[in-house]
Amino acid sequence: MRTFFYFVLFMIIAVGVIFLAAVLGARGAWYFAWLVGTAMIVLISAAGGALLDTQEEHAIERAAAERDRS
Amino acid sequence: MMINGTVVTLSRIQFASTALYHFLFVPLTLGLSFLLAAIETVYVTTGKPIYKDMARFWGKLLMINFALGVATGLTMEFQFGTNWSFYSGFVGDIFGAPLAIEGLMAFFMESTFIGLMMFGWERLSRGQHLAVTWLVAFGSNLSALWILVANSFMQNPHGAAFDPLTMRMQLTSFQQLIFNPDAQSKFVHTSVAGYVTAAIFVAGVSAYYMLRNRHVELAKRSFRMAALFGVLATIAVITLGDALGFVDARVQPTKLAAMEAVWQSEPAPMPFNLIAFPSQARRENLGAVRVPYLLSLLVTHSLSGTVPGADALERRAVQQIESGIPAVQALKVLARDPGNAAALAEFNAHRKDLGYGFLVQRYAPDLNDVTPAQIDRAARDIMPPVAAVFWSFRVMVALGLLMLAYFVIAVLYTLRNKIHRKSWLLKMSVWMIPVPFIANEAGWLVAELGRQPWTVFDVLPTWMSASTHSVAYMAFSLIGFLVLYTVFIAVEMYLMVRAIKLGPAAHGDPGGPRSPPRPALAPRVAPAAPYGGKLEG
Repeated sequence: MRTFFYFVLFMIIAVGVIFLAAVLGARGAWYFAWLVGTAMIVLISAAGGALLDTQEEHAIERAAAERDRS
Repeated sequence: MMINGTVVTLSRIQFASTALYHFLFVPLTLGLSFLLAAIETVYVTTGKPIYKDMARFWGKLLMINFALGVATGLTMEFQFGTNWSFYSGFVGDIFGAPLAIEGLMAFFMESTFIGLMMFGWERLSRGQHLAVTWLVAFGSNLSALWILVANSFMQNPHGAAFDPLTMRMQLTSFQQLIFNPDAQSKFVHTSVAGYVTAAIFVAGVSAYYMLRNRHVELAKRSFRMAALFGVLATIAVITLGDALGFVDARVQPTKLAAMEAVWQSEPAPMPFNLIAFPSQARRENLGAVRVPYLLSLLVTHSLSGTVPGADALERRAVQQIESGIPAVQALKVLARDPGNAAALAEFNAHRKDLGYGFLVQRYAPDLNDVTPAQIDRAARDIMPPVAAVFWSFRVMVALGLLMLAYFVIAVLYTLRNKIHRKSWLLKMSVWMIPVPFIANEAGWLVAELGRQPWTVFDVLPTWMSASTHSVAYMAFSLIGFLVLYTVFIAVEMYLMVRAIKLGPAAHGDPGGPRSPPRPALAPRVAPAAPYGGKLEG
């Protein structure tokens, strides 16, 4: 049931985004670009933070493996 | 009634100085709120407590900046009424709506959610708090949107028409006001310039911690996120600046001529004045260094495009002034006799040049006796202060390119996870902190000085927009504002430096003091585990 509610919620958001894109795309292309661009900048920045965690975890694993070998 | 020229100048200095002070705070809020949203998004998706500490720390700095931004912004809205009363009466019907919506956004949406964001860490679930942080980011940027919609009406009046019976501008289309091309490109350019400002600020403060070997894990992550945020935002801000220039080329040719110091029209392809010392009196550039073909390419995106020079624009202004004089004369008749059909027909025939009729009234209060010399003098007024606009534009662009170069280097090293070992880059990052603030101020000077001699471009000249105060009143209030705002800046600097020196440890980092939750308001989220080696949540 919970999954169904999430499905409905995300469908509403998706339809809202399509509507917004259609309206803003025609009348306010720069506003639309701002929405899309801001989301992209925020998500790439967030992904960069998560990537750093992964890099550090791999570095720790590599250091541990080298210690084991030696 | 003629307004004293000194009063107009003092009113302009007062508004410009308060706007420049205010604009030191605004861009940081615009950008830091979204950077904070990015940090908290990582916290909610990964559950790693270090990101919560990052969000709390940068959130505190955002709060300090936000509070002073609101305090400095309040007085500006009052100045429209106190110092620019003719302007407010003339365009208040249009200008008032976006300002009112901005007030609602800033003081209801943004302020409410920023309170929840700051004090809701122990009271809201992770998801709820993240939603609040995103709403703060959208609230602050939407608040800026409405100010820029209002400002863009002044740059490129869309969606309004002058009514000769009410003697003021009236709104004809709210949609045209919001979707004004100048509003769109200016909002996106300004908002994203705020992202760049926040990215440099966060990178610089993080570099300071890494140089001192304090909070290194937190600083490395903050730096990484800020560098990626900043490089994308800087690319965007440069692209959007080009778009804004493209819009200005069509709607504000005098601003463009001033930005590029083009005194004489030339055939395509036009050269670009890389460096020049424009002389307003002599209508020429001294010691110009020119790059062939570049101006046509930059401004029109073609080798066959041209930019009208001041000479052509002034010649056109003479014709517009000659057409605007009958419009003002008809308006005076309509003021006495609103039913005069002949005066209304005369006004409608010349209404598009009404502003130019006002422009010459500065030199010829009685338009029945206007001389060609007075018309020529008014026509020369259409050029903004060229040297100031020219150099402000170059400072903004040069600093924008410097920031792009900085972010590209910063991204290269942070993606290799070597940034904490590059002390030269860390030191450079600290020194870069003032750069976006200077670029923002320079950009604002280009926009506002370039609009002169108009408060509403082509419609209402600045000389007749001010209130009829005394010089003493204006001088006294100007000194008061400068002192007060300088105190605000000092308070901001003190609080920021103090919070940065205290560091995130004081806000929830392991080892720092953490106040226990109040029993009645126990947190719903499990207490964060200290992060160490693997930083797991």
